[in-house]
Amino acid sequence: MGQAAVVNDDALVVRVQDFVKRYRKRTAVEGVSLAIRRGEIYGLIGPDGAGKSSLMKAVAGVLAFEGGYIEIFGQTIDSEAAAERVKGRLGFMPQGLGLNLYPELSVEENIDFFAELREVPKAELQARKLRLLAMTRLEKFRDRAMKQLSGGMKQKLGLVCTLIHEPELIILDEPTTGVDPVSRRDFWAILTQLLRERGVTALVSTAYLDEAERFARMALLHGGRVLAEGTPEAILDEAPGSLVEFVAAPQMEALARLRARFANVEAVGGRIRVFVPDGQAQAALAEVRAQLDGLAVELATASIPSLEDAFIALLQRQRGENEEAPMVAGLKEDPPVGDGVAIEARGLVRDFDHFRAVDQVSFTVRQGEIFGLLGANGAGKTTVIKMLTGILPPTGGAGAVAGADMRHAGQAIKERIGYVSQAFSLYQDMTVRENLRLFARIYGVSRQNLDARIGRVVELARLGKVCNEIVGRLPMGIRQRLALASALVHGPRVLFLDEPTSGVDPIGRRRFWEILVHLARVEQVAILLTTHYMSEAEHCDHLALMYAGKVIADDTPQALKDALVREAGQVLDIAAEPVLPALEALEQTGLADAALFGRRIHVLAHDVTAATVRIRGILEGKGIRVEDIAPRAPTLEDVFVWRILERERAEVAR
Amino acid sequence: MKFLDDDLRGRVGLWLWRFWAMMLKELIQLGRDSLLVFAITYLFLFDVYMAGNVGMNLKNAVVTVHDADHSAASRELIYRFQPPYFKLGGEMADGRAGQRLLDTGEALVVLDIPPRFEHDIQSGKPTAVQVQVDAANTVLGFLAASYSAQIIGQYGFDQALARLGVSASALENVPMIRDEHRVWYNPNQKDAWFMPLSELLVVITIMAIMLPAAAAVREKERGTIEQLLVTPLSPIQILLPKVVAMTLVILLGTAASILLVLHGVFDFPMKGSLALFFTVTALYAFTTSGLGIFISTLARNLAQAALLAILVLLPMIFLSGAWTPPEAMPAGLREAMVLSPLYYFIEMGYGILLKGAGLDILWDSLLGLALLGMTIFGLGVWRFRRQFG
Repeated sequence: MGQAAVVNDDALVVRVQDFVKRYRKRTAVEGVSLAIRRGEIYGLIGPDGAGKSSLMKAVAGVLAFEGGYIEIFGQTIDSEAAAERVKGRLGFMPQGLGLNLYPELSVEENIDFFAELREVPKAELQARKLRLLAMTRLEKFRDRAMKQLSGGMKQKLGLVCTLIHEPELIILDEPTTGVDPVSRRDFWAILTQLLRERGVTALVSTAYLDEAERFARMALLHGGRVLAEGTPEAILDEAPGSLVEFVAAPQMEALARLRARFANVEAVGGRIRVFVPDGQAQAALAEVRAQLDGLAVELATASIPSLEDAFIALLQRQRGENEEAPMVAGLKEDPPVGDGVAIEARGLVRDFDHFRAVDQVSFTVRQGEIFGLLGANGAGKTTVIKMLTGILPPTGGAGAVAGADMRHAGQAIKERIGYVSQAFSLYQDMTVRENLRLFARIYGVSRQNLDARIGRVVELARLGKVCNEIVGRLPMGIRQRLALASALVHGPRVLFLDEPTSGVDPIGRRRFWEILVHLARVEQVAILLTTHYMSEAEHCDHLALMYAGKVIADDTPQALKDALVREAGQVLDIAAEPVLPALEALEQTGLADAALFGRRIHVLAHDVTAATVRIRGILEGKGIRVEDIAPRAPTLEDVFVWRILERERAEVAR
Repeated sequence: MKFLDDDLRGRVGLWLWRFWAMMLKELIQLGRDSLLVFAITYLFLFDVYMAGNVGMNLKNAVVTVHDADHSAASRELIYRFQPPYFKLGGEMADGRAGQRLLDTGEALVVLDIPPRFEHDIQSGKPTAVQVQVDAANTVLGFLAASYSAQIIGQYGFDQALARLGVSASALENVPMIRDEHRVWYNPNQKDAWFMPLSELLVVITIMAIMLPAAAAVREKERGTIEQLLVTPLSPIQILLPKVVAMTLVILLGTAASILLVLHGVFDFPMKGSLALFFTVTALYAFTTSGLGIFISTLARNLAQAALLAILVLLPMIFLSGAWTPPEAMPAGLREAMVLSPLYYFIEMGYGILLKGAGLDILWDSLLGLALLGMTIFGLGVWRFRRQFG
């Protein structure tokens, strides 16, 4: 961050010191301290159970706590009465889509209710309501009952109700969880507008690490403690190192060699990413090349690591040695890419009453391929999976899974596939081994083979240490590995995964992916998965984007990004100070898609050189200091949002 | 490539193997649910035990007296109110205090003896005593009133005989009808036999509905049903192991209850064939589980299931004859009793265990239970298949 201004205490809106929260004997938050300045978007980032919600509720004055103190607007929150005094100046939106709203009331009635609760003067209510409805693009739905809104719209209505009394501080608990990427982007745009027009201060939590770049400053929480705090740059400095990316063959051999030396190695599609601690770019590249001596290494680049890499490195440092040995399954040669078709969908259609949930969906998944199905909630992903797994008969179209026709051989399909469902749905009151035995027997593994098969998946999913533990007492990451092991116990050749890593911390997610990559590359299992995490979609060999029941794009991640660059242009990353006037200046000159990312701005441009010159001109003409303008590789989220907006534009035009 | 192991090729073998896996799972889960284990133990043992100790008997009913006469005659009458039925609760100075004691529930009976009571008896004048009874509990009130009437009548009779100078033996020459009744099946009319058995049959009913309902709704609540539906299991294969496992648990509980409580504590006669009783219980528990399954398809969580279960259980028990004998029911309800499976079960339970009856007598009840039970079970399975098929 550019400004090194001395922070005087007047500028502090929230100050938390040595905060401790316990639930009975369990400590949820242990000694957290942080300070939020006026007019900044401050992020609390961490997986489920990190302590984000407890901290936010305490700041909002709705949760008593055991230790430390909290100060808001200079008022120490040490009693109900003290909390009451500042409540009028803050707005709090709890976690969960629209959980604080009333499903039976219409959009407008919900807003009116909260306005009355907050004693908003009648004279002002009308103007505020109109402005907020316009900002959230909810005007058209004023009379619709809240329960009939989509997830993203519910969340926006929740935001309107939180903002109706014009609070100075807004506290939003995981506002983007379970919301599709387009609504998510809308949400950030609204927050940016509020910040700019009204100078609000926001405390926002998220479980998506790729959202971290939206924040000016943030705290990374894990297990109730702060791992790192500050600007993105400050956090990256805590875990110095370089990120080396390349393509190597054979991939499994390269992975095995690197894992022997580096703690943080992952395969992303055809590429391998390695976090090299303490290394400058060139030194890190040399180090990796030395480790891979004799293998074909191409397209190697070294760059600044992402916040997720830093988070994982910090976590690993805190936990000490990696408690489980990484999976070593080196192969001298990459197995040939299987050409057997594992899953085929041809023009699948599914109607519910008069609503077409899936419309002419076609795709092919080969053995050994990881195929990702992306889409917002309600786009039809789960319906497609249900049809392919034989749970739901299709209205039209055809398909085959593992050699069985999905229209007639539902039973055969069920016997030949493995399935990991969205929410963890094994038996939490039974032990790991009891669960595995149950599913092995259901899938027809006989008495003689039972122990051998279970032993194999236990080793694969690295569950050896927890075999006799009750599942309910295990963390999410291990539970999901158990779900995967249960789905693999009969040795299926096709695996379906429905949002398998929601709620799993980043390290847990990487472990999970290590297993998936092994399955696909070494054992030639075909994997079809759905996910909300765009960073996870990068791991897939092939992606299909679904929107309103249709597949709107279907290609490899790289090809999708290349197509975006061709059609929409390159993403330019602009660092300018002060940033808010810069954003306004850019929008006024017609760069409508300019978006705020922490203290940086992203715009799309076809001609990078010309755009750079033009932007520099605009900003410097307004007396704004431009620090850097650099093209940046688009993310899959950029692709997703662009494709959907393109669809929406096409529909409006028609 | 093979998907099933060779020795499971036979569809029957595979079916049984899956059935075994699922049943084992149900029993493990039940064993881990300490609250449910406690409820089962409590209902089968302690609840049945307690039912044997609380009967609708008149026991130690408090009699408060306003004796305005204070004579030998009045004292004699008062002391005829004896335990175990009555207990003297003291004397009041004022007749009006009696009303208050009845109101507050401190006395069940208030006996009011007028002045000149002894004098009137001795001088051959008719006299009267007043008995006020709290009949808020109609059974107790009725018993207290009739026992009091009997005591006072006997006292008057004795006084009359004494005054006539006739000895009791002289009565043998007076024409009188002697009441010589025989009470069968429970000769001492022990509540400690009737009540616990009745309670046990009700507990079996509660368990037969609640256990499968809880097992099925738990799968829905925790989302585990989703995982089962993508396995090769059919809805029947999911459902049947639950019902069989819970029926086994109920049979075990029934055996423990009969052995430890009915036999061990209350020395129950156990007249008929236990094998027949357990067979009937198994049939009853299995078929009645259909109601539990039905409930589980309607309820979204355990609390809703429990509420629905109460809604089903109450009329079922009411129409069974466990609380009210069939003859005491109004006409419409009496006919409706054929719709309560518990009605047949109670017929057979009493018949086998108390009367020692066999199938030669109880075949019609068994037929009724089988037909009704199969209908209920079929209904539950139909709903379940429709929801998850």
